[in-house]
Amino acid sequence: MSKNKTLTKKDQMQQDKAQDGQQMLVDFTRPRTNPMANVFDGLVRFCQSRSMFMLHYCTGCGAIELPPAMTSRFDMERLGIQPMVTPRQADILLITGYVSVKTLKRIILTYEQMAAPKYVIGICSCTVNGGMYWQSYATAKVLREYLPVDIYIAGCMPRPEAIIEGLQVLMDDIKTGRAENWKRYFQNYDYYLGNQQKLFGDHWQTPTDIISEARHYDLITENTLGKHTALLEKHQAPLQALEMTLQQNRERV
Amino acid sequence: MPLVAFTVGLAMVLMLRKIAARLQRRIGPPFLQPVYDIVKLYSKDTQISHGMIHEMGIIMAVGGYIAAETLLPVPGMDGLADKGGIVTLTYLLMIPQLGLALGVGQCANPNGSIGISRALTAMLAYDIPFILVVFGMSWSYGTTNLAEMIAIQQQAGMQSWGIIQMPLLALAGLMVLPAMLGKQPFEIYVAPAEIATGPMVEMGGKFMGGLFVMQCFQLYTVGVLYTTLFLGGGENWLSFLFKIFVVVAIPMSIAFMFPRYRTEDMLRLMWKWPVLVGLLGLAVVMIQV
Ligand code: SF4
Repeated sequence: MSKNKTLTKKDQMQQDKAQDGQQMLVDFTRPRTNPMANVFDGLVRFCQSRSMFMLHYCTGCGAIELPPAMTSRFDMERLGIQPMVTPRQADILLITGYVSVKTLKRIILTYEQMAAPKYVIGICSCTVNGGMYWQSYATAKVLREYLPVDIYIAGCMPRPEAIIEGLQVLMDDIKTGRAENWKRYFQNYDYYLGNQQKLFGDHWQTPTDIISEARHYDLITENTLGKHTALLEKHQAPLQALEMTLQQNRERV
Repeated sequence: MPLVAFTVGLAMVLMLRKIAARLQRRIGPPFLQPVYDIVKLYSKDTQISHGMIHEMGIIMAVGGYIAAETLLPVPGMDGLADKGGIVTLTYLLMIPQLGLALGVGQCANPNGSIGISRALTAMLAYDIPFILVVFGMSWSYGTTNLAEMIAIQQQAGMQSWGIIQMPLLALAGLMVLPAMLGKQPFEIYVAPAEIATGPMVEMGGKFMGGLFVMQCFQLYTVGVLYTTLFLGGGENWLSFLFKIFVVVAIPMSIAFMFPRYRTEDMLRLMWKWPVLVGLLGLAVVMIQV
């Protein structure tokens, strides 16, 4: 990508400042009047919090602490947390460590394919602020500029106890209905897309149509559409199904 | 009866996961975990459907088993077992796999296609010994009626159980069991790490929930079928439940002892040993009668 440019520290600071104003979460949900409906919602949220399938897209060194957290010693399954392998079935996206620009593209594709409600957990200091890769030209520093992160688990690298503790905080948040960050992605799509375009170039496009999806969930705010989504529409190429052949068309890959 | 099957199936899923956890020295999931999973999957906000056939496939998968439940006799309730018989049941047991194949076909995901072709090949592998066993048992009891089979076996206590009378066929049936359940040495078609859970790759939300429900039914069906053919059915609910849980627990307990078989190896294995044992058993049955 020709437009790639590393962010200077000053850019970063400005963005951080702008961010807090932009990343707001608008609550559209009507208050439930029927007491039974509240009970039902509570039950559903409880089940959601007790059964989390996580997609461990292992990006960096932090991933090495996940196997112990899953197996005999710390056993995540007793909390109802299981690894899953496809984004369609997953609830949690674990980002375990530094994210290179190339990896970030895959992460965003994966995130957009997950079924809502979905949660992102940033493990490791590298996802918080770049960590020891701060000066690297090839890593995306602050994860929450590109995706709405629910929980950060800081540390270099955090121990399994810390990971499980973080997951328990997320469970509490889901149970009480506070973990609604996935709506932020739809409500502030322009902001996230803008940051993505800055990194990947103007032609950046994912196969998932976020704007229609936001319309479907009724999550359109004034921050969903903006100059970045206009740029996307200008460049957007219609998606086509890949032709299926049995010949070796190597050059297509 | 499907309701009973579902409840028992949930308990079986829990039991299997507990056994697996204990074998790996873990604590395992909490008591209601299968329920949480299913409620969670059905309550997802995004339900990605790939079209009519995708949805029909899941309905066929679950519906095939629900239809099969009505043909399985449980203590005090024969359902349609008098009229259906084991031949109808054998047909009904194929519907879920075919439904799954239809549904996965429409998802047009290459991983799913690989998975389902492996699953259907696996079905081919275990169906031949399975049919041999079914044939031998109906020959020896002189009926295809499941309720009558149970009556015959309950005449003289344990002496008249299928497993005592026809140990070879029972052994062949036991070998087929893990393959029918898609359990550990034979789970190449789900292969999470290589082809992203195969047939389930595009299933999210309620579709995956449907498959979880299907799994409950599957465990129950296989357990009850084996109990009916070889273990004399159930005299009462207590012994019945005990038997079917033991039957389902056996393949899981030995599952981790073997490495995973490739599809062609599985085909070779299934067509060699269970078929051999089954044929021997069949010969014994035919000479005896
Ligand atoms: S925080 Fe440390 S352990 Fe984690 S990805 Fe960065 S360098 Fe690796």
